[in-house]
Amino acid sequence: MPPINNIVREAQLKGLTHKTRRLFLRDCALGLGSLALGSFLGSCQSGTAGGKDLFIDPKNPLAARPPHFAPKAKSVIYIHLAGAPSQLELFDYKPALAKLDGQPCPPSLLEGKRFAFIRGVPNLLGPKANFRQRGQSGAWISDHLPHFAELADEVSFLKAVHTDQFNHAPAQLMMHTGSPRLGRPSMGSWVTYGLGSENSDLPGFVVLNSGGNNPDAGKTVWGSGFLPSVYQGVQCRSKGDPVLYLGDPKGISRDQRKASITAINQINQLSHEEFRDPETLARIAQYEMAFRMQASVPGVMSIEDEPDYIHEMYGTRPGQTALANNLLLARKLVEKGVRFVQLYDWGWDSHGTSKYDNLEISFVNKCREMDKPVAALLLDLKQRGLLEETLVVWGGEFGRTPMQENRNGNAAMFAGRDHNPDAFTIWMAGGGIKKGVSYGETDEIGYAGVEGRVSIYDVQATILNQMGLNHEELTYAFQGREFRLTDVHGEIINSIIA
Amino acid sequence: MQFHPRYIFIALLIAVLLGVLFGGDFFERKIDFNSEVKPILNKHCITCHGGVKRSGELSMMTRADLLKAGESGKVAIVPGAPEKSEVYRRLITHDEVDRMPFESEPLPKKEINVIRKWIKQGAQWGKHWAFRPVAKVEVPTTQKQQGSLIDPASGQALQDIDHFIRQAQQQWQLVPQGPADKEHLLRRLGLDLIGMPVSASLAESYLQSDHPEAYEQLVDSLLASTHFGEHWASMWLDLARYADTKGAERDARRVIWAYRDWVIRAFNQDMPYDQFITEQLAGDLLPDPTDAQYTATGFHRNTITNDEGGTDNEEFRVAAVVDRVNTTWEAMMGSTFACTQCHGHPYDPIKYEEYYAFMDFFNNTNDLDTYADYPWLRQFSSEQKQELQALEQWLAGQSNEQIADQWIDFLKTWQPVYYSLQADKCINAEIYDTKFLAFRQNGSARLPGVNLTDKESLIFRYTSGAGTGSWQLHLDSLNGPVLLSQKVKATKGWEIHEVPLAENITGEHDLYFTYDGWQLPNERAIGLRFDWFHFTSSFPGKGSIDYSLQKEKYWELLRANTPYTLITVERPGAMQRSTHVWDRGNWMAKQEKVEADIPELFDPWPEGAPKNRLGLSQWMTDPKHPLTSRTIVNRVWAQLFGRGLVETLEDLGTQGAEPSHPELLDYLAYTLMYEYDWSLKQLIKSIVMTVSYQQSSEATLEQLEKDPQNIWLSRSPRVRLTAEQLRDQGLRVSGLLSKKMYGPGVMPYQPDGIWNTPYNDDQWEISEGEDRYRRAVYTFWKRSSPHPAMLTFDAADRQVCVARRIRTNTPLQALVTLNDPSFVEMAIHLALSVKEEKTEVADQLALAYQRAIGCEATPAKVAILLELYQQQLMDYSEHKEAVNSLLSDLSSAHQTAELAALTLTCNAIMNLDEFITKT
Repeated sequence: MPPINNIVREAQLKGLTHKTRRLFLRDCALGLGSLALGSFLGSCQSGTAGGKDLFIDPKNPLAARPPHFAPKAKSVIYIHLAGAPSQLELFDYKPALAKLDGQPCPPSLLEGKRFAFIRGVPNLLGPKANFRQRGQSGAWISDHLPHFAELADEVSFLKAVHTDQFNHAPAQLMMHTGSPRLGRPSMGSWVTYGLGSENSDLPGFVVLNSGGNNPDAGKTVWGSGFLPSVYQGVQCRSKGDPVLYLGDPKGISRDQRKASITAINQINQLSHEEFRDPETLARIAQYEMAFRMQASVPGVMSIEDEPDYIHEMYGTRPGQTALANNLLLARKLVEKGVRFVQLYDWGWDSHGTSKYDNLEISFVNKCREMDKPVAALLLDLKQRGLLEETLVVWGGEFGRTPMQENRNGNAAMFAGRDHNPDAFTIWMAGGGIKKGVSYGETDEIGYAGVEGRVSIYDVQATILNQMGLNHEELTYAFQGREFRLTDVHGEIINSIIA
Repeated sequence: MQFHPRYIFIALLIAVLLGVLFGGDFFERKIDFNSEVKPILNKHCITCHGGVKRSGELSMMTRADLLKAGESGKVAIVPGAPEKSEVYRRLITHDEVDRMPFESEPLPKKEINVIRKWIKQGAQWGKHWAFRPVAKVEVPTTQKQQGSLIDPASGQALQDIDHFIRQAQQQWQLVPQGPADKEHLLRRLGLDLIGMPVSASLAESYLQSDHPEAYEQLVDSLLASTHFGEHWASMWLDLARYADTKGAERDARRVIWAYRDWVIRAFNQDMPYDQFITEQLAGDLLPDPTDAQYTATGFHRNTITNDEGGTDNEEFRVAAVVDRVNTTWEAMMGSTFACTQCHGHPYDPIKYEEYYAFMDFFNNTNDLDTYADYPWLRQFSSEQKQELQALEQWLAGQSNEQIADQWIDFLKTWQPVYYSLQADKCINAEIYDTKFLAFRQNGSARLPGVNLTDKESLIFRYTSGAGTGSWQLHLDSLNGPVLLSQKVKATKGWEIHEVPLAENITGEHDLYFTYDGWQLPNERAIGLRFDWFHFTSSFPGKGSIDYSLQKEKYWELLRANTPYTLITVERPGAMQRSTHVWDRGNWMAKQEKVEADIPELFDPWPEGAPKNRLGLSQWMTDPKHPLTSRTIVNRVWAQLFGRGLVETLEDLGTQGAEPSHPELLDYLAYTLMYEYDWSLKQLIKSIVMTVSYQQSSEATLEQLEKDPQNIWLSRSPRVRLTAEQLRDQGLRVSGLLSKKMYGPGVMPYQPDGIWNTPYNDDQWEISEGEDRYRRAVYTFWKRSSPHPAMLTFDAADRQVCVARRIRTNTPLQALVTLNDPSFVEMAIHLALSVKEEKTEVADQLALAYQRAIGCEATPAKVAILLELYQQQLMDYSEHKEAVNSLLSDLSSAHQTAELAALTLTCNAIMNLDEFITKT
């Protein structure tokens, strides 16, 4: 083995044994080991000098890196229901609320509260769904989710999650970047920054959108913030090129593209002999990888080759942009070693102001579109033996109020609920998460958590933990300090970890 | 004088003996706090004993902190007496529980010694280099001593800057490269000064001239080119977080491109940098501000606003103020002030309260997360401007200049106003969709804290579809005296009207609105909506002969539907906000009130300067300010060399990188202020005229070995082009480039389905005609979704101030330059043009290469290109349909296999490392 590999190997081993030493490269020009690496690898293009940033090989910034400790999960599939589905119609069964249906909300519950739309004194709204206990665990799941209900014993429910944002965009940013303001890296970016990618022909962090719109917070929820842009989520699309600019221009064939990349790289090789710039070698490698991606991505991104029973199982809608298609794609992507698959499904905001945003009709339809394929994903991962190493997370950006929304102080036309940052349900499955557990409890009307409350930072810390990352150590220096996903917060939710 | 070695030996011996006699410290050299002590404290101590955590009640941020006793009651440092200093004892103790650093290995002996000596010598403190004033620096004379001011390799005269660089190279035993050839230098200079290759004619005259001053003439003509500003603006627009949309959720469009154009013009006019930042921070506070000075204040209107339903406008106003504070520090003073928002600065001696005192400078502008993004500068046509001038004269004649100014300012800016969003206590009324104050039947609301002194009438903007009912304004309570009462008339959209107030009132009062609206169809229907309220004295000149005529003209202009740009406007005295410290950065938990001030760390406030944004810019542009000049010269250096003299462009503070050439940094900062009077063009010229800039970028193995990152500049750096340079270069070499300047953002090719923003069906519509081929600086910038090809090449998303783009090298970049239809179109046009000029294929390829890369292709490279061409020609000759689809935009006469093969080869040339990299 050539000496440089020894150094790299040694560094990796050190990384595994001494987690503090893992961040061994403070500055490319400092330290003996790093000096040797620095001269080999050329430029160091990590963030600020002086920080404890990870060492990033400029030639291959997505190279797989060792985790902080042995991980439970290799990949994450995060299903975000943008708009925030009502926990009170799905998982948080509140018979007391049914009895109070139509009663004015006691003023004590309104004091000191701010709502997005509720004004004055709203009425309480009983659950708009029938609930039953399911499986061995006896988890309460409503009839809106008949398929998922069958899998109640596979998941852990967090019933008392809370956030501090009650508008969609800031709450989504909070959920995925740990800050309600724009500019921070997203969870998927942090994970790919920490671990790199297992598959050199595919991006490490893939984003799939459905529901007709991007999430309210825009592309920042999969942006890399101040991390190098190579860690931003790559949006894969159902229409047009699956990855932007992936397709050869019309009139240029694969063979022609291959010939031109060969010529480009031959000339680049000559340039390297002339200028000896290590970046030129990196560019040669990137052009080769681009060519491989062109070949491999369309296959991975196509669900056409899947057998009929799989299509049936997920209820896909070939040729369309649908959550079901994206969930099937998500399985294919983690199978290929993609680290973080982030799904956004837009359209869950049920205020009750029209026939498009109410709990009686549109919400039930959204549930129907989501229920079968989500259940299929869990089953499909399980039958392939992938569920144990894939962490599946399901949730919105906040919860809904036990009160009927009374926008502008008027009674709404339909049943609907306002935004509630104090209580919502998130579930996780696979990836070293306990099965059939329900953790946390809300008060008798589901307004706020009373037991086992967890913050979104706790959820983030737990996700990183399952990936073998310590949320307090995964940092990046920016604007003079070390930033991390969980800011200064976050406790791992041990009660749901197997 | 020369000493014989023997005498030196004897002297040393005596010294050592004396040293032993006097306790070993007699001949000790002075320990330098900044370079020796501070790094030890920063590395080992400050995480626990810093500005945030003060473990054991001990902080090491200031000398005063260390002279106090901590929790243990023992004094941390007793100057002159290490043995009495608890800090020293804790370093050397063998008791592992007691020893510091906590639960770690002891410090190396050498470092403990430094601490001991430093305490012994009196524990003097020192300011971090970046916080000390910029002093005049002597140019090093190493080269001069050797009797040569001429670089032997190039025969060029060494410039002052070169001496600093050569000195450092000598220390590292690095041999600098010889000069670059003219072709490479020409391309480099074009990319650096105008952001793209120079025009063919300028290139030719430079390449063919052997005049000794040909290079300098080239530099001068590029600095004078209008393309100069278009290139250098990009750097500033990242700092200013300029974008064409508002940012959050629906991310709707915003009209502020006039600010971007102002930046381009300012660079082209070589506006002195002190004026450049003064106009952006405080243009509105300058005496009688021009439209351009107002426009410049758009700098701090590039903050994000949020139109999302149910949001708290005050929350987002405050978020914008915080962003302005942080951006001012990061962009203009290269410091990380943002840390102090929640606690004392962890590393630099800046206190928590000082953040909020500084915030007070920015807390008094009259923007409030309004839907319309007020305040505006309304942009009048030249005809309207003439009328405005005439009005101004007339008004001054009728009253005085101050009153005339107020009326004219209101005409130009619709300021100052109270926004309807400021209303509260709404009953049957609401801040409709967080945007406007709306009334339903029997509605009421309060507008708090209105100053009515000298106010005689109310001018307001409102809309009513129903046109029914009447509204009243009551003084002090719902049942208070009626100040005005008005019947609501139906409007055509938004209208501006005036009503006189019934009484003359003085002082600040809460005003209460009531609205009846009995005729409305139901209790949910909205009777009228207000946008803003302006209380004013009555129009001057009552009784004069042309009073009605002039007033009519005034109102015509006031109501005119004009274009506008966002600006900063200060709230007048009576409307001033107070600023408070927030508890741990929580804007809702307000603590003590603070007054505008600068942190103690810095030199005193300039005498006589007002305590507002104007005074602030006076302080920042005072040559005594340690950061302003260093920050900008560092940025300019990084633009030219790909890396700053301080690598962390965003932070010159103690946590930033150490400067590679500290004296050079100060030399440049000093020269910029005292010799160039803040002229950036002179600064840039002085750098590109150096021998160091003009070196070849070829690297020897020895250089790579000793200095892989090229910190010591023994060769010219190779730097990947920015997203903007890459597009502009492609447009230039293909001949597609539009030279049109300024105006609203344009939309070049972008794949379908990129935007998809919720509650906003705004579409990217590819621009027609030459607007499709404009320089990248004019590309429409949607904050939540910037142009994907630019983002792939590390363009900033401009959500917050970005001081440094981190360059990456990814396969997605290859996909852009290979496949993006914009780049394919450039290849087609490059192919077309060389095909027209040359008949032989080899000549065509050589010309295409020459045009794209700027120098002649070696025979080996031509051979590779020729082989590619010939392969493709065979392929295309058999696949006519492929030719037609590749060249579908051209006439059928052009759809030949030859042009298709040539296009593919040009596409390859435009993907070469040499094309993508500044060499």
